[in-house]
Amino acid sequence: MKGRLLALQIATPLLAILFGMLIASVIILVIGRNPLDVYGVMVRFSLTRTDSLFSILFKATPLMFAGLAVAISFKAGLFNIGVEGQYYVGAFCAALVGFSLKGLPMVVHLPLALLAAMVGAMAWALVPILLKLRRGAHEVITTIMMNYIASALLLYLINDVFRDPAQVGTPRVRTPDVALSARIPSLGPLLARVGLHGSDVEKVNLLLVGGILLGVVLTYFLSRTRFGYEVRAVSFSPLAAEAAGIPNARTRFEMFMLSAAIAGLAGLNDILGFFGYLDIDFPKGLGFLGISVALLAKNNPLGVILAALLFGFLDRGAAGVQFFAQVPKETIVILQAIIILAIVVAYELLTRYVRTQRKREAELVAPVAVPAGAGP
Amino acid sequence: MEYVTALFNVALLASAIRVTMPILLASLGAVYTERSGVVNIGLEGIMIMGTFFGAVGNYVVDNQFPALAQAWPDVAPFAGVVAAIAVGVLFGLLHGLMTITFRVDQIISGVALNLLAGGLVRFLNILLFEKATQSPGVRGFTSLDIPFLKNIPALAPLVTGVSPMIVVGLLCVVLSQWVLIRTRFGLRLRAVGEYPLAADTLGVSVQRLRYAGVMLSGAFAGMAGAYLAIEQAHLYFEGMTQGRGFIALAAMIFGNWWPLGAMGASALFGYFDALSLRVVRLPIPYQFISVLPQIVTILVLAGFVRRAQMPAADGVPYTKEEE
Repeated sequence: MKGRLLALQIATPLLAILFGMLIASVIILVIGRNPLDVYGVMVRFSLTRTDSLFSILFKATPLMFAGLAVAISFKAGLFNIGVEGQYYVGAFCAALVGFSLKGLPMVVHLPLALLAAMVGAMAWALVPILLKLRRGAHEVITTIMMNYIASALLLYLINDVFRDPAQVGTPRVRTPDVALSARIPSLGPLLARVGLHGSDVEKVNLLLVGGILLGVVLTYFLSRTRFGYEVRAVSFSPLAAEAAGIPNARTRFEMFMLSAAIAGLAGLNDILGFFGYLDIDFPKGLGFLGISVALLAKNNPLGVILAALLFGFLDRGAAGVQFFAQVPKETIVILQAIIILAIVVAYELLTRYVRTQRKREAELVAPVAVPAGAGP
Repeated sequence: MEYVTALFNVALLASAIRVTMPILLASLGAVYTERSGVVNIGLEGIMIMGTFFGAVGNYVVDNQFPALAQAWPDVAPFAGVVAAIAVGVLFGLLHGLMTITFRVDQIISGVALNLLAGGLVRFLNILLFEKATQSPGVRGFTSLDIPFLKNIPALAPLVTGVSPMIVVGLLCVVLSQWVLIRTRFGLRLRAVGEYPLAADTLGVSVQRLRYAGVMLSGAFAGMAGAYLAIEQAHLYFEGMTQGRGFIALAAMIFGNWWPLGAMGASALFGYFDALSLRVVRLPIPYQFISVLPQIVTILVLAGFVRRAQMPAADGVPYTKEEE
């Protein structure tokens, strides 16, 4: 049973991906292309070129953080749809620390910028979680509203308050440059030693390592520590947990704050790792991609890392098929959405199957005396 | 005093009614689905589909059948509304399939629908109009003047040039209130949302009624989108719903899960929406004025305005057989 269960758990996401590809094939056929050719181009373009491989890693990095942030909130039975807004605020706070403080050594400045991102995002998440715990306001809608407000706030801060004076008169609306001491070091020099060069190689920075490590640490934290146990207790059976002396509200609050702190880092791959300033057109939508990544991984932190890599691959592949096969890259967005729809159904069916199997086995092991007339 | 006249005048009121409609229609949809016991957070995505298909249905009829559109100018916008409602029902059906038949978490299914809608409209827009984010312009319905009232000059902005969709929408509200309170369907719909087991025991199909609830919500959310594209913006563009699908959910909660209540709440949001569209000279940066409806939504949900009573089985999947 155990071996078969593991096989099923691995097969489920693969089947969902296959199903998504099948539906996407229909769409590709409808627009008059051969799906096999398109997928062929996608795989060749994404996986056989050095620049593509590193582009995938660069794209996957923020998705790891966003996906982990969403997964952490899901684990506690909360829906943090506000990762989007939280990383906006986090990115701004990091940029603010980055461009306003000068002359600090990197060992002080960079951690300070990361801390600012986390604290800013946590402060932004404070409103929905407090309203949830104190007033019962559903966090899904409040976090979504906070996303719109964060977007407006950033527009105001970048355009009206902190716009780089050197850019006035140009169409560029952005903050001043972040000091070099607050930039996230690129892995480029390290990779150059093993003979890997190119602009896409240089884009990959330390946050990639950070994201993978975070996934590992969270796995340990959630499965092997006392707090992780409490979190599971609270999400499986709030009443039983409360009766056992585990405070529901506090555990949820702490998990939501942890989720927000991780969310705060999601924007930094681009802002501190690549651009070095916060432009009004900074990359958006990472929070929503994070939801997909977390759902695909069923909130497993290590699964999130893999799902982020898959989404990085799909993103790069989308650029490839757009350029080489003249298929709109939005086809891949639809593919992603269908994979998500398929995966949640598949996981649900799997859970139900496992439950009935367990029940059957339990009945086989210990036949319970059934009173006459009861049962089907 | 200057602020007072800026915040309260007939023109602003008229504009408030116009921008209330999409929120109102979507919240009406939310009432149906949640009364049946299914939370549909995918209303935003359905509304996005509605904006796109509203514009497309309209555009296609206008350009493919010019003679028809010439003879009856309202046929093209009407086709847009029908297309939007049809695709809304389809999405509602999908949400029903996910949540009622497969019993996937209702929030997760809704989020997935929103993701799907976002990708789908971009893709279809490229196929049809060769760019991702915008459709060509479309014509709206011939506007109406309200008989008798139109002769009062002070009310002119309110009662002249009224969209027929506003009239239809308001009729839908009253009709829905009646349906929910007075008809057999309405009673059964509420029963499966309050106590599905009891309804099931009495031979009412919980599944079928919940499907009806989500499909109706899709129809209204699609219509809400069509209104935005056809009557308000006269085109589809990406991001035009601005979270109104979510705001509609808040309006439904504030309206205590009743159509008339949802109308009152939507009017409140509409008022702040209209205010945010206007250049009112207030000592607050415009970026913050623009998110007034979102801020009000949070305040409403936090119950700072009123506490609400939701259907008892709202959001709880119903399992007929014991597993």
